[in-house]
Amino acid sequence: MAAPNLLDPKSATHNSKPCLSFSAKSITLSPREECQAIATVMKWKTVLAIFLLVVLYLVVGAAVFRALEQPHESAQRLAILNQKLEFLSTHTCVNHSHLEELVKQVVSAIRSGVNPAGTLTNHSSLWDLSSSFFFAGTVITTIGFGNISPHTEGGRIFCIIYALLGIPLFGFLLAGVGDQLGTIFGKATARVEKMFVQWDVSQTKIRVISTVLFILFGCLLFVALPAAIFKHIEGWSALESLYFVVITLTTIGFGDFVAGGSEIEYLDYYKPVVWFWILVGLAYFAAVLSMIGDWLRVISKKTKEEVGEIRAHAAEWTANVSAEFKETRRRLSVEVYDKFQRAASIKRKLSTDLGLNSTPELTPPKRILPVNFTDEREREPMFPYMTKNGSIFQNGLGGEPRRGDVAIIEYLK
Amino acid sequence: MSSWYKSWILLTGFILFYVAYLLFGAFVFSTIERPVEDKLKRDIQVLKEEFLNQSCVNATSLENFLERVLQANKYGISILPNSSASSNWDLASSLFFANTLVTTVGYGHTTPLSDTGKAFSIFYALLGVPFTMLVLTACVQRLMHLVTYGPISMCRQKIGLEPLAATAVHFAILLLVVVLGFFVVPAVVFSYIEDTWSFLDSIYFCFITLCTIGLGDYVPGENPGQNFRSLYKISVMVYLFVGLMMMYLILRAFHRMADLHGLTSFFQLPHCDEDIEEDKEPIIEAGHEDQHEAEDSAKPLDPASQTSYNTINR
Repeated sequence: MAAPNLLDPKSATHNSKPCLSFSAKSITLSPREECQAIATVMKWKTVLAIFLLVVLYLVVGAAVFRALEQPHESAQRLAILNQKLEFLSTHTCVNHSHLEELVKQVVSAIRSGVNPAGTLTNHSSLWDLSSSFFFAGTVITTIGFGNISPHTEGGRIFCIIYALLGIPLFGFLLAGVGDQLGTIFGKATARVEKMFVQWDVSQTKIRVISTVLFILFGCLLFVALPAAIFKHIEGWSALESLYFVVITLTTIGFGDFVAGGSEIEYLDYYKPVVWFWILVGLAYFAAVLSMIGDWLRVISKKTKEEVGEIRAHAAEWTANVSAEFKETRRRLSVEVYDKFQRAASIKRKLSTDLGLNSTPELTPPKRILPVNFTDEREREPMFPYMTKNGSIFQNGLGGEPRRGDVAIIEYLK
Repeated sequence: MSSWYKSWILLTGFILFYVAYLLFGAFVFSTIERPVEDKLKRDIQVLKEEFLNQSCVNATSLENFLERVLQANKYGISILPNSSASSNWDLASSLFFANTLVTTVGYGHTTPLSDTGKAFSIFYALLGVPFTMLVLTACVQRLMHLVTYGPISMCRQKIGLEPLAATAVHFAILLLVVVLGFFVVPAVVFSYIEDTWSFLDSIYFCFITLCTIGLGDYVPGENPGQNFRSLYKISVMVYLFVGLMMMYLILRAFHRMADLHGLTSFFQLPHCDEDIEEDKEPIIEAGHEDQHEAEDSAKPLDPASQTSYNTINR
């Protein structure tokens, strides 16, 4: 608000009622700003709530994993320690430190991908062209199995640069493949819709059915079928194959199971087909995951709506109640005030009529009433006596009116 | 019809280029790594022979023993004496594992052994990965206001640069800050805490982690004598989250900038979503969400909404 100009009559009026002008200004100026401010606050709260939810999810997962895995781990540890002791006891010429040394070397060799078990002569290299191709593929798709990893400094630096360029490239490719998948699916949906429209099914039902079909068909083609193939070729169990498929297609890529990573003799076209499957399966999984994300969003939006509705109802109810309360208070106070005023005016009139002063202020009607009653009761037994000479009564009591009669007269007025 | 053909042609072009890129990478990796591998093979062979010569152990029992040891090692159990008595599945490590699962980094230094663990991982990942993407996207959307729109408008008003130049300058500064703060500084910290890691190893680790590749050859906190192991692992988790957020932020900022400079239309790549409207809307609701949800599922990857894999899950 501009500095008030004292010479200006308008601003003088403004200044004379500062409260009113300020409040008016605030009402007109920032309903939108306030709305925005409130909206931003709520959005941060939403993000914070989701973040806390994620942390909770992680903690729950950690607890479950610990409960499931720790017993297994302890069992394995015991087993291997027993093995070691057995080995040392059967082969008494081997001493402790030699064995440790050997094991350490062997472990680091394994980490470099060299398997010292078995004969090493016909062992295929981990860095021949096809395996390097596979490794490059795992880096670009950010799966990163880790069963092969570069160990030289040059290899690592090159890996960094390679990934920097390759990951966006793969992202574009994935977007393109997903787009084609979506187009194909859209056409299929359109055909299905045409079929269903003949049977008069509603739009949403068609959409839902097509979504379910998409998920099922995709699962069959990209998850179940490859899992069965892996189970057959790699010799894993059904669960392990499924586990490998999910871990790979979500790009987590632990590397404990890798297709084409064992010592089996693979067909020549096995690895390229696996790579192609990874590409298309990734697009499918990205679609499924984004769908799940959308569902989570819708669920949270619905919850937010419900919470918002509840809050709106509560606010409405509170507003109504307080408005009623205020109204009642106002009415009551007005009534009481009115009655009070009336009583005061009656009393004033009475006092001016009778010349009585110092009549008590409080509730004159009430004071009159008991006087009437007592007078009546006193008069009762005498009543039959009096009625004999009705005229005497009137005559006897005439003249100066008694206080009770005055009261009666007053009250009746 | 021609646009459809065009998109197919573009796609095949992309695939061919991608295959060429992979071949190139394979060739380079092969030439760099293979000699080292051969040398290691020879060394280990020599070691084995030495061991066998000096002792009464015969080859087969040694092989069996080694196989068992390697099997155990695959699951993170070591028989070396100074291996930590702490488990790989205490609460902090399990939390770390759940975190690598959910952010799709997936080191693989510890993996679930039991069948129930594997089954649980499947469901946990299927639910947790989109969840994490949602959180990260929500945070990045908020951060974009703070980090991108604010400074850019400030740049424009105070320094008076053109919008294009302002965005380029801002992006360069943002990139520099992120590289310094999330690669160089953590690499220094890691190389200090982990005694076996050099500075290059630490930067390599930071990069591999923040791109969610997660090869697993370097994992922090696996040193047997690590002090404050739980605290260390949890702080690495926090670093992972915040670092991922920063990567998404950079990606988004780059996309906006490319949009502005017309690069995306030049290469006929997907455009960024409309900025101001969408970002001022609350992330969790949009009026048309219900109606579009079914449509989105019908057309899972709309060409106008994603530019790279990192944004696809959005």
